[in-house]
Amino acid sequence: MMKIGIMSFAHLHAEAYVQNIKAIPDVEMIGFVDSDESRVEKFGRQFQVSATTDFEKFFAEKPDGVIICSENNAHLPMVEMAIDAGIRNICCEKPLATTLADAQKITALAVKNHVNLMTAFPVRFSAPVMEVKRQLQLGNYGKIYCFQSSNEGRMPAMYRKWFVDKELAGGGSLQDHLVHLTDLFRWITRSEVESVFAQSNQVFHHGEVDVETGGMAMLKFRNGVFASIDCSWSRPDYYPIWGGLSFEVITDRGAIQVDAFKQNLSVYHHETKGLSLVDWGSDSNQGMIDEFAASIRENRQASVSAEDGLRAVEVIQAAYESVASGKVVYL
Amino acid sequence: MKVGIIGTGFMGVTHAAGWAQTPAQICGFCAETTAEAAPLAKQYHSKIYTSIDEMLPEVDVVDLCTPTFLHAEQVEKAARAGKDIICEKPLALDVQTAVEMLAVCQKMGVRLFVAHVVRFFPEYAKAKAIVDSGKIGRPGTIHLRRCNYRPKKTVGNWFLDEQKSGGLLLDLSVHDFDYARWIAGDVKNVFSKKVSSMDPEAPIDYALTILTHENGTLSHITGGWAYPPPNFQTGFDINCDRGNIHWDSAETDPVHVLIRTDQDSPDVGLVGSHLIESPYTTEIKEFYDAIQNHKEARVTSVDGMKAVQIAAAARKSAECGEPVMIDSMKGEAA
Repeated sequence: MMKIGIMSFAHLHAEAYVQNIKAIPDVEMIGFVDSDESRVEKFGRQFQVSATTDFEKFFAEKPDGVIICSENNAHLPMVEMAIDAGIRNICCEKPLATTLADAQKITALAVKNHVNLMTAFPVRFSAPVMEVKRQLQLGNYGKIYCFQSSNEGRMPAMYRKWFVDKELAGGGSLQDHLVHLTDLFRWITRSEVESVFAQSNQVFHHGEVDVETGGMAMLKFRNGVFASIDCSWSRPDYYPIWGGLSFEVITDRGAIQVDAFKQNLSVYHHETKGLSLVDWGSDSNQGMIDEFAASIRENRQASVSAEDGLRAVEVIQAAYESVASGKVVYL
Repeated sequence: MKVGIIGTGFMGVTHAAGWAQTPAQICGFCAETTAEAAPLAKQYHSKIYTSIDEMLPEVDVVDLCTPTFLHAEQVEKAARAGKDIICEKPLALDVQTAVEMLAVCQKMGVRLFVAHVVRFFPEYAKAKAIVDSGKIGRPGTIHLRRCNYRPKKTVGNWFLDEQKSGGLLLDLSVHDFDYARWIAGDVKNVFSKKVSSMDPEAPIDYALTILTHENGTLSHITGGWAYPPPNFQTGFDINCDRGNIHWDSAETDPVHVLIRTDQDSPDVGLVGSHLIESPYTTEIKEFYDAIQNHKEARVTSVDGMKAVQIAAAARKSAECGEPVMIDSMKGEAA
């Protein structure tokens, strides 16, 4: 039986991954390790999994793979620790790191130690996105000119405070929400980002946090395709869903409009006295964790790599540079 | 009030219907040929003028529903004749010309109104009122979307001629540049990418523009001639620090017609509104009232000039690949 565990429960996605791991028949969820005692206490009980603050004890379980869900700036030490403990399959939350140097180190460590390192880009496993990508790459929708896109959401401090800590998260909404669509467009166009222009502001939750809460970026790819991304935390806490990810692809034959989180029920209930959107679409996190398990089972690199994570970090860093200089930044 | 309408394309037709709802008298129409002006002249029991010079002595107000490249000359003629002027958007092809047009109107003491009709669409006007009420706070990000299909060949094919229309950014996105300014104030910086700037042979056009307003608000403007006819989608999101407004034409259309037809789509896409009073009529009525009663209209000639300024900066940015400061455009206008 394959064993998968989680390193740190700092990231909210760990809550989903626990269920995703449990849902795979030949995989044993061995629990999680976290240096934070309160999280071990709280989430161990909530998810009924083994939880410890003792990393040695966790590694002694001999996991075949780990999923790193720490604060963004702790990804590198977590990867180092896992590799030192002999782990050769690692799925790491996005963004891969908060600095270019850390992302490069993680990528180099993975290559040097022949580690199957997967960056957690769940949008690649969204059913509607996968179908559109397939049709685009088959040429059925024509030649791609550009993308207009949005990955806006609530400010995540409502789930976890560290998301708005410059040190731990590496920044605000640009750091949090630029990566998914950047990765998606690289994946669809099979081209790398050539230049980035970005602007940010702090209108949403003004005075509550030190990081940027609003941001827009324009990417240009080497093949000439361009893409705008709104990555703002522009959705209020009482928005009926966490946020969303949508894009419009423009081709020589017209347009394809994709809303990856549109498969919802509109639910009104007495408890909230309002509207809640309840997702009934295929679970993209499950698709991603299934792929991670499959890569372990088949002893291969997962379909998303450390390098994919590194490329996205390069774009985020360029976006911050552009915000600072007001100019277009070339990669 | 006696009105003369110049230009009898789809905008001339629309404005005439608006004027018919006011106490003003439509004196007549002027088009490139008398044949083009004849149907409207007949419908409104008015005259056919063979030139603007022939029309000017007989009217108080001139309504210019002509292609953009003709605006400057016609505004100047009307202003020098002392006539108040309604001018279709965009006011001019470039900032310099727009500034000169404003100057001649000021000098001659005539009023100039630029028909930025989007401000008169009730969904846009209501959203503006909500923002102005202050109850949803300050705008952080704004999205304005407007996409339809490439205009078909109209008279002289001027729409598709960048030299005559200014292309997608000046002809279509200018609506939303103006609206963004109306909501969030003056713009400091413009960055734009446009398909036709990257690939002049592309069969469609589509432009994405990021505006940084002086107050820090970020606006994202999507403009496109990219959908197959007769699709026309518009929409906006105004995200503020105390609330959000969302509107999308496709989601709120109260009527969906699913009827087989052999009919061809119209030459130029126009948004259907399903309203008792067309926003174009609301607009003409407000201009009538402003002239008749010496009042301000919700859109001024300066607004029209500044919309041209943003569009010019966007066009420049799309060509050079760099952000363009509006200050630098002021320099060009001076």
